[in-house]
Amino acid sequence: MEKVLKKDNLRDWVIALSSYEVHAPAFEDEVWNFKQVEKPEDAALDHTNTVKPPKDFSFPQREVYCEFAQKKGEAPMVTETLPALAAPKVVFGVRPCDGRAGPRNDTVFSKEFDDIYYWMRRKKVAQVGLACNTPPSRNCFCTAVGGSPHSEDGLDVLMVDLGDSYLVKALTKVGEEIVKAGGKALGNASAADKKTAAKAKADAEKAPMREIVDIKTVPENLQKNFDSEVWGEMAQACIGCGICTFLCPTCHCFDINDEVTNVTPLRGQRVRTWDNCQFPDFTMHSSGHNPRNTLGARLRQRVCHKFLYFVQNHDTYQCVGCGRCISECPVGIDIVAVVNKVAHDVG
Amino acid sequence: MSDNIYLPKMGRIIDVNSEVEGARAIKTFRVEFVNGDGFDHECGQCAMLSVFGKGESMISIASSPLIKEYKQFSIMRVGRVTTAIHDMEIGDVIGVRGPYGNNFPVEDWKGKNLIFIGGGCGLAPIWPIIQTAVLQRKDFKDITVFYGGRSSRDIMYAKELEKLRGDAEVHLSIDSEEEGWNEFCGFVPTNVMDKSPSPKNAIAITCGPPIMIKFVIQNLKGAGFEDTQIYTTIENKMKCGIGKCGRCNVGKDYVCTKGPVYSWADLKELPQEY
Repeated sequence: MEKVLKKDNLRDWVIALSSYEVHAPAFEDEVWNFKQVEKPEDAALDHTNTVKPPKDFSFPQREVYCEFAQKKGEAPMVTETLPALAAPKVVFGVRPCDGRAGPRNDTVFSKEFDDIYYWMRRKKVAQVGLACNTPPSRNCFCTAVGGSPHSEDGLDVLMVDLGDSYLVKALTKVGEEIVKAGGKALGNASAADKKTAAKAKADAEKAPMREIVDIKTVPENLQKNFDSEVWGEMAQACIGCGICTFLCPTCHCFDINDEVTNVTPLRGQRVRTWDNCQFPDFTMHSSGHNPRNTLGARLRQRVCHKFLYFVQNHDTYQCVGCGRCISECPVGIDIVAVVNKVAHDVG
Repeated sequence: MSDNIYLPKMGRIIDVNSEVEGARAIKTFRVEFVNGDGFDHECGQCAMLSVFGKGESMISIASSPLIKEYKQFSIMRVGRVTTAIHDMEIGDVIGVRGPYGNNFPVEDWKGKNLIFIGGGCGLAPIWPIIQTAVLQRKDFKDITVFYGGRSSRDIMYAKELEKLRGDAEVHLSIDSEEEGWNEFCGFVPTNVMDKSPSPKNAIAITCGPPIMIKFVIQNLKGAGFEDTQIYTTIENKMKCGIGKCGRCNVGKDYVCTKGPVYSWADLKELPQEY
């Protein structure tokens, strides 16, 4: 289903989606981030890309697994806290790279064991994508990892900027419902609209972006150069802040901790929070032994997870080329440069 | 709650035995499930134990799958959760979720000679196989157990090992000489070299500190064992136990799901980062 939406009518579409919680990028504190739309007239799609990816709609930074209470000498009482009441959400302005992160995260949170917390949220999130006619960041490289600035993968709806209007393409059943809900706010797409969108796509795919050299040979070369000293050299400046993984749309590592709110009688919560392979204690055993005890080993883990291990396990890269980890790294560690160096330039 | 993989079942501690005292104390706990809950396990699998308010810790199940009444865990006191477990007594309730991971292919080993090589706390993960082999003694040929601790006070399962002697050849060792110690003095890999077990129709299963495993494998290779005849079980820090939280991987494998049990033929193919 393809429709056309006059830019001025975005407000009416948002109003028509009143049975959903609508989110869209908002510029606050000097950065773009997804925010719940309070006033439909504020909804706009003139962002570059958000600093934080939309992964936390399904995988929030903090998820309470259960609450527990225990009186001394008695068995613990555990109450499950599922996000069953999470409101259905429509997220506008998802860039195609972030759209492609969705299916990758879905794989991680299903596989042999379904993660009920993730899926309860995920099933209620509809992603309305906005194609990139020009790369929103100087560090974009979606085309290097099999994506496209107009990729539909993982999105429910894709919008393409046509100038004064958007071409709106429903991609899933949920997407069709959302487009239909818009009613008269959206009109029928003409052949000319579709032609303009196709041209925008062709132009966007030709736009210069960061490049990974000979990507098909990257996994085998990373494996071959696993013991290279270059890892350590390229990680030398790393301060271990972990921003690269926190802002990554596909990084899914997490921690589980008990937070005690009352000591006697014991009360508290078991909580999942995002965690980070760049922290030394991420892998440190209680004994003090640490399998990844150097900066180089931890950088290697981040890169190999995305460009080697995930490929071995799921036959696709676990990187969608959004470039956030490059743009936001305080010391300028650049995953594209690291991959190119280790895969192709190690003697 | 049945499809929530993160919520533990409840188990009651029915027996506590102090194996080793001191800074590296080891205690053995027997846990029976309450509320009609429970699960079966295979040799080599692990369970995530929980002390609410402290957290969770992945511990290998140290009893044979043939024993249905309880699950046994032998735990060294090293961190926050294991310290809390050491403070628990008979009757206390502990959270248990699992079983996690793959298992030793014990069925395939029937009719073979089994050689067990353990060090320190590393006897616990291979104990279920020893116990199973003894309970099904006729199904297996010779059973040999090498086990060593730093000193005689660090020997776990001391009574059980003595009881084993009718069914198995037992070779104990301690790192350095002590008065009254009549068995081998020296490291476990050296004891293995000293007794030189035959690789013929044999499977060697080893678990212990990483450095011990490394030299045991080296010595077994020297004695003519093939990579496919050597098995070990490895541990890493774990949080989820189900291949999602991202920290226990060795290369492409999450040890919690693809491991912890590996033949050397498989383990040597992974990056040696564990």
